[in-house]
Amino acid sequence: MLQKIQELLQTVHAFEAQTKEEVEQFRLTYLSKKGELAQLFEAFKEVPNEQKKEFGKQLNILKQLIQDTLERIQAQFETNESVLQGIDVTLPEKPIMLGSRHPLSIVKNQIIEIFAKIGFIVSEGPEIEDDWHVFTALNFPLEHPARDMQDTFFIEKNPDVLLRTHTSSVQVRVMEHQKPPIRAIFPGRVFRNEAISARAHCIFHQVEGLYIDTNVSFADLKQTLLYFAKEMFGADTQIRLRPSYFPFTEPSAEMDISCSICGGKGCNVCKYSGWVEILGCGMVDPNVLDNCSIDSKIYSGFAFGMGVERIAMLKYQVKDIRLFFENDVRFLRQFEAAL
Amino acid sequence: MKISYNWLKDYIHIDLDVETVSKILTDIGLEVEGYELFQTIRGGLQGVVVGKVLTCEKHPNADKLHVTTVDIGNTTIVPIVCGAPNVAAGQTVLVATEGTKLYSGDSEFVIKATKIRGEVSQGMICAEDELGLGTSHDGIIVLSNEIAAGTLASDYYNIQDDYVFEIGLTPNRIDAASHIGVARDIAAFLSLSGVCNITKPSVATFAPSNSPLSVTVEVANFEACPRYTGLVIRGVHIGESPQWLQNRLRAIGQKPINNVVDVTNYVLHEMAQPLHAFDVSKIEGNKVVVTTLTEKTKFVTLDGVERELHANDLMICDASKPMCIAGVFGGIESGVTNDTCDIFLESAYFNPVFVRKTARRHGLSTDASFRFERGVDPNNTVYALKRAAILIQEIAGGTIESGIFDSHPNEFPSFTVQLQYSKICALIGKHIEKQTIRTILEALEITIAAEDGDSLTVMVPPYRVDVQRQEDIVEDILRIYGYNNVEIPSAIRSSVVFSHGVDSTKLKHNVSNMLVAEGFYEIMNNSLTRSSYYQKFESELYETRVSILNPLSAELDCMRSSLLFGCLEVVAYNKNRQTSDVSIFEFGSVYHHVATEGTVIQKYKEQQHLAICSIGKQMSQHWNYPNADTDIFVLKSHVSKILQKLGLQSYRYTPMQNSTLDGLECVVNKRIVGRLGVVKPAVCKQFDIEKPCFYAEMYWDVLLELFGSPIQYKEIPQYPEVRRDLALLLDNSIEFETIKKLAFETERTLLKHVTAFDVYQGKGVPDGKKSYAIAFTLLDKEKTLTDAQIDAVMSKLIAKYTSVLGAELR
Repeated sequence: MLQKIQELLQTVHAFEAQTKEEVEQFRLTYLSKKGELAQLFEAFKEVPNEQKKEFGKQLNILKQLIQDTLERIQAQFETNESVLQGIDVTLPEKPIMLGSRHPLSIVKNQIIEIFAKIGFIVSEGPEIEDDWHVFTALNFPLEHPARDMQDTFFIEKNPDVLLRTHTSSVQVRVMEHQKPPIRAIFPGRVFRNEAISARAHCIFHQVEGLYIDTNVSFADLKQTLLYFAKEMFGADTQIRLRPSYFPFTEPSAEMDISCSICGGKGCNVCKYSGWVEILGCGMVDPNVLDNCSIDSKIYSGFAFGMGVERIAMLKYQVKDIRLFFENDVRFLRQFEAAL
Repeated sequence: MKISYNWLKDYIHIDLDVETVSKILTDIGLEVEGYELFQTIRGGLQGVVVGKVLTCEKHPNADKLHVTTVDIGNTTIVPIVCGAPNVAAGQTVLVATEGTKLYSGDSEFVIKATKIRGEVSQGMICAEDELGLGTSHDGIIVLSNEIAAGTLASDYYNIQDDYVFEIGLTPNRIDAASHIGVARDIAAFLSLSGVCNITKPSVATFAPSNSPLSVTVEVANFEACPRYTGLVIRGVHIGESPQWLQNRLRAIGQKPINNVVDVTNYVLHEMAQPLHAFDVSKIEGNKVVVTTLTEKTKFVTLDGVERELHANDLMICDASKPMCIAGVFGGIESGVTNDTCDIFLESAYFNPVFVRKTARRHGLSTDASFRFERGVDPNNTVYALKRAAILIQEIAGGTIESGIFDSHPNEFPSFTVQLQYSKICALIGKHIEKQTIRTILEALEITIAAEDGDSLTVMVPPYRVDVQRQEDIVEDILRIYGYNNVEIPSAIRSSVVFSHGVDSTKLKHNVSNMLVAEGFYEIMNNSLTRSSYYQKFESELYETRVSILNPLSAELDCMRSSLLFGCLEVVAYNKNRQTSDVSIFEFGSVYHHVATEGTVIQKYKEQQHLAICSIGKQMSQHWNYPNADTDIFVLKSHVSKILQKLGLQSYRYTPMQNSTLDGLECVVNKRIVGRLGVVKPAVCKQFDIEKPCFYAEMYWDVLLELFGSPIQYKEIPQYPEVRRDLALLLDNSIEFETIKKLAFETERTLLKHVTAFDVYQGKGVPDGKKSYAIAFTLLDKEKTLTDAQIDAVMSKLIAKYTSVLGAELR
């Protein structure tokens, strides 16, 4: 009987089924009621007691092998069998469209994320503002043209209620209510009384930033902006600062980046200068700090501001600002894969 | 502002290429927006040389032409066929040689070797107009015989190429609104790498005669006119300016007028002091009065426009009438004409605020007002006057009367500013040598009055209107030193700040991404819209709308109070462009005027809303899936998912109708968090939208207030849930929400979930009735539910539905 078991062990071990029928035949041969295994168990009853241990062990090995083999050859046929037989799987998928974020949201979020990494938090403020927060606290002279009806939308006159022309008003609100250190960015919508054209719109979006603490320097400003430029436009990006003028910063600068389209070689985007203007910045004017009850003898700070549309237009080569507010889905669809 | 490079060289000795100068200007704060080549004569007479006509014979085949040979120097003799009647042998002429480009109006042509009626011609003998030297076409130009053949015409006519920079001047830099001002800045920059000074024109030759000043001046308003100076020149000859002066003005885009006016313009662009010349014969009573006039006085300006004066418009008048709007624009009557013989020349310092207001009131902006508005140098008026007088005398003759009128009740002292070297360097973030700082300050005419260790007292001339504090001086030092010469530190300095409150940006991001995955496009609409939408459809919002006092147009005359109309505009816009099935969403502010008193924040409310809008098919036509229209239940599922995403599980919907929407109100913790439904057809009609349009507006600020319960893990139930169904025959008026609410009121512990899985009306159901198949999910957290427990719950529910709702079991 032991010999029989040894033979079966070898046969089963080497068994390969070629067809599904052979699998069934295997099962019948070994595992049916009259099958080989049943017969051996029947014969086992006759085995003398002192040999039962040895026989039982061998018999169980055989039983296990037969069961494993059956599973193996069954699985082999089941996984080879096509469930989708006869179905043309190249037919179109269920047409659930992928939508898209608005390109201005995408760019705005990207700017926020870049500054968040170096410790800037986000603050927001109202769009309907008073003269103090938009102009006076920011050191705009009384006669500044921005205060004119032809540049700014007014809701009320004397005292003036107006639509903010920049998000710097939020800087003022934050400085009025928080003590330094202040390190925040201010994304938001701003308004200018400007005829709508391919290059200008009466609404657009800004992200401004502010850092106030002791001993903040112009060099710190440059460092922060270089980091931003490289994160936003690529590690090879260079920056260039040009002296400029804003009432609320002194010194003031405009920042250019090396043209991301031509890499500085000159193209029609950078008007063959190799540089593209990207933002305004400067050291916060001490008058502004004092207006917000921050002691300008102790604290200094830098501020910067950029237009989201401008960056989006540069990044995506959009030539007409009106596209952002027409919301043509054929336009929006193009940004489905944007970061 | 246009600056000529050649003109600059009158004051500063430099020989840099134009690109380098352009870069320097931009780097020191005078942004060059562009520069261009300026040629007094187009093409610069390139290729045109002096020639000697050696022979001249009649053309054998043409009556009006001559065949000539011309020596054009360098032993080159060329045959030229010439059509001019005055051509003759022995003449010295100008020859456009082969390859020369000539211009005629906008077109240009190139001289080529050719045959004219069989005779070879290798050039052209030119007339004035053909070279751009004048307008005459009477015949060829004949020059003096002393000029050698081969002389370049550009040398003979002293043609110079010039480059003209277009500078975008920032409002704080009026000190640089002239050629001397720009030269001073360049010199300051160059002084860092060696000595560089500017030379201002000398007025040492100013020589008045003995005759006394024949015009009296009275300044009646010292506030508006802190300084007024003037002089008289008699016997000038008005005529064309000499070529050099015309060229200077043309280079910077100014049209030459006559010699006197041209000199005043020249001095303005030389040193930023506007001057005005009056014809003395037109000054009634020989008296100049600087004053304001009564409101609504009429005055005709040089452009022929009659203007009504404001009581604060400062005027230059004579004994009886106004002659000129001070610092802004001259009058048509009093100016210099060809008949003018004696002139009164004015050089003043007017109050910038007065000039600015007057210029704005009359919608005028002139070179003079531009400079007066920003502040000219009050200490420069006499110098400018002398400079102009000398030039006028040189060019137009005349004698200067003795005595310059000069009225200035107050002096114009320098600003004193205290500085500390250490603070300058701290603000810049780089150590800059003291000597470098001194050099820059001196080059900018800021004098060092005292120096003591770290401290420094400087005197800033009054023409630097914007430089009165340490920070202003830091800017001056830094811009000359170079913004780009401040090294960038290797580490970022950052103080630690903490954010507080709910991260709205992040939540918007989460919700947006979810909607995007469902096929929605994020849109952004203008916050400005038309009030007529609200007038027609939302009378309550119309009452509290925020109107713009000075709107761009009637279409943008108020702030939006709802996101609905913007969404419908987008739906219509896309529908008109063949996209009629769209799903869009917008995060945006809505604005209301809520009080008449208080601060801006109290009077005006700005709230963030989230609009979701869907129209048309749920998906495009497919071989397998039904091509169903979107509906309110699809919309409701989006809304519910947003609420779940924000952690708000206990929301409830109640039916609602208003003037624009038919649908539901969504309530969380007794607060309305949004409204959703189908847009009323009357509203859709306004936008030509025919299909049902589904719209939800959620109140993001309220959602943020409700958001925030921290997530805490709960034990996963160990015992199985049990589902039991009921088929209820109900009156049509009974809502599912009532059935659900009643169920949870009846069974507070074991009931987990109620839903409807079938709705039926029709055969077998009486009119006015409907059949709802309701599924109830029960769970006991402590043990497996027994049949008895389940039956007891179901009996309770059936009893409630029967008694309260009049339901029958089917």
